[in-house]
Amino acid sequence: MLEVKNLHVTVGDKEILRGIDLKIDAGEVHAIMGPNGSGKSTLSYILSGRDGYEVTEGSITFKGQDLLAMSIDERANAGVFLAFQYPIEIPGVTTMNFLKTALNAQRKARGEEELDAVRFLKLVRSKAKPLNISDDMLKRALNVGFSGGEKKRAETLQMSLLEPQLAILDETDSGLDIDALKVVADGVNALRSPERSMIVITHYQRLLDYIVPDVVHVLSGGRIVKTGGKELAQELEQTGYAEFGADAA
Amino acid sequence: MTGAAKTLVENFERERKTLPGASGWLDVSRAKALAAFAEAGLPHRRVEEWKYTDLRRLLDDVSLTTAPDHLGPVDLPATAFEAMDCYKLVLVNGRFRADLSSLAKLPKGVELHPLANVLSEQWAKKLIDRQSDHDGATRIIDLNTALMRDGMALRIRKGVRLDKPLHLVFLAADDGGAHARHLVELEEGASATIFQSHLAAGASSYFVDQVSDIHLGADARLEMVRLVDEGAKSFHLSSLRAELEAGADFGCFTLTMGGQMQRQQSFVRFNGEGAVARVNGASALRGRQMADTFCHTDHAVPACASDTLYRTVLDGSATGTFQGKVVVQPDAQKTDGRQMTNALLLSREASMNAKPELEIYADDVQCAHGSTIGELNKDAIFYLRARGLNERDARRLLVTAFLDEALDRIAHDGARDALRAVVANWFSAEGAAT
Repeated sequence: MLEVKNLHVTVGDKEILRGIDLKIDAGEVHAIMGPNGSGKSTLSYILSGRDGYEVTEGSITFKGQDLLAMSIDERANAGVFLAFQYPIEIPGVTTMNFLKTALNAQRKARGEEELDAVRFLKLVRSKAKPLNISDDMLKRALNVGFSGGEKKRAETLQMSLLEPQLAILDETDSGLDIDALKVVADGVNALRSPERSMIVITHYQRLLDYIVPDVVHVLSGGRIVKTGGKELAQELEQTGYAEFGADAA
Repeated sequence: MTGAAKTLVENFERERKTLPGASGWLDVSRAKALAAFAEAGLPHRRVEEWKYTDLRRLLDDVSLTTAPDHLGPVDLPATAFEAMDCYKLVLVNGRFRADLSSLAKLPKGVELHPLANVLSEQWAKKLIDRQSDHDGATRIIDLNTALMRDGMALRIRKGVRLDKPLHLVFLAADDGGAHARHLVELEEGASATIFQSHLAAGASSYFVDQVSDIHLGADARLEMVRLVDEGAKSFHLSSLRAELEAGADFGCFTLTMGGQMQRQQSFVRFNGEGAVARVNGASALRGRQMADTFCHTDHAVPACASDTLYRTVLDGSATGTFQGKVVVQPDAQKTDGRQMTNALLLSREASMNAKPELEIYADDVQCAHGSTIGELNKDAIFYLRARGLNERDARRLLVTAFLDEALDRIAHDGARDALRAVVANWFSAEGAAT
């Protein structure tokens, strides 16, 4: 599904990622853990194509294609989805209108028929219900005035609707209380499938109690310094990141 | 006197005898107004209110000799309001065209005429002759008083409601100047909705000069929705003066799209308590277009509310200007006055001038004003693209949303949808006019 080889990335003059190797097969959930400033968010942005990051060495292959050669929206339409740590507020665009525009943009890009209003509404309601997202919330401007929990549920709804093949969850647990975390985690778990891979980026082990990963990587100083099974996350909870050259957070 | 002012004065000298009302009181008013205009000349940028729009210079570029009567067929452009059932009054080159208008079956108590038909009536005289403050902004109305040839006159009697909207269509078929005056008198409790379309229908270089004099009696209600979509080498000048008695409700929305240059002024004055004015607008400009909006609200009495929001999108090397002033007079306690202007610059060459002003002489009031000028949010574009929208569609969605927040203030559902469609078309023309 995804193969990252010797990836070096700089922002401005600063090298943030210093040789990342990562291979994720279809259906796998990989957690990337690490202290603040280790390059976790940079990795999520470089995968989704955000401007301002320069790849100086290495490659990323997604389903056999050169991901770095694709634009932001080409990646999205090919099935890459980034769930934002801080979803952006879009005043004047209702959540419903946004979801419909995004879904139809992707369907169109894939040569599929666009959904009409009736079919779309039926679909979005069926996906919104398990996430406790009401019609009222769908009528509000996207993320504007949403609580932390509402924003993350809205991100999960987008993921559920767009059915990506590679979902990157960037600090999805930040700003969530335990109840909201459970709702979001249930939503994410419902999307686990043999065809879908996920990268779960988190500072804390807490999220991984609910979204249990197949593989855990520790990112520190721009490199993956340790890789293990789900028990690695629990070890980290005990020891912190100090042994990897970072201050305990 | 500069070339442009001279042409306008010559127009008057040549046409004076043939202008409507030439034998009555209006001739005296015209001569007086012309003399004042000739003395002051066209406003220029050293006049504070015209600082960003130098009429003296800009009018040199358009044809000012009075446009001819156009009696033949007109290529009627499609109008945004067409789909709605309306009374329709059509002016071509500023003159009434009965054959293109549909004014049949007006309700009892509604009088709707071309201007020339009402000039002998007292109510018309009162509206036209009303003394405005004659400051830097209103002085230009003299030009219209001297040269106005036709227009729309609407009077609605006490308590009568105009049962469907009135659509005033103003078409420029031939090059030259067109000076029109519209009068609206709504008596106590009367109500009406007026749509206005300003469009080019064959003319290329022309000057539209229009003044609307509006008086709303106690508890009267007027909703206006205007579309200004002129031709590529035009100058559109319009001034709207509205006086509101107690409890009156006035809404005016203007969408400015197509023309090369426009200066649109509104002067709202509260005469009675508890009246409300909502003067809003939006514009989307590209190429070398210019649009200057001047918005003056005079809270002369207590307990009135005014609310203004103007949103401007500028692409290419277009220039937008918003000058707003809310004055709260010493007795006008409990005033609620709000004014906001926001502009979005889509290119490095576009520019926006904003000058919101508040003058408050009372102490128990709620007033707010503000102005923002910015670019599209790059994070928002990234977010939308990360969901699959291409860059063009992402930008378009954000710009539409920005304008929509102003268009949302149009109370009439059909008109709001109609103007949204006009905005959507603006994007389709992208690249065509740069």
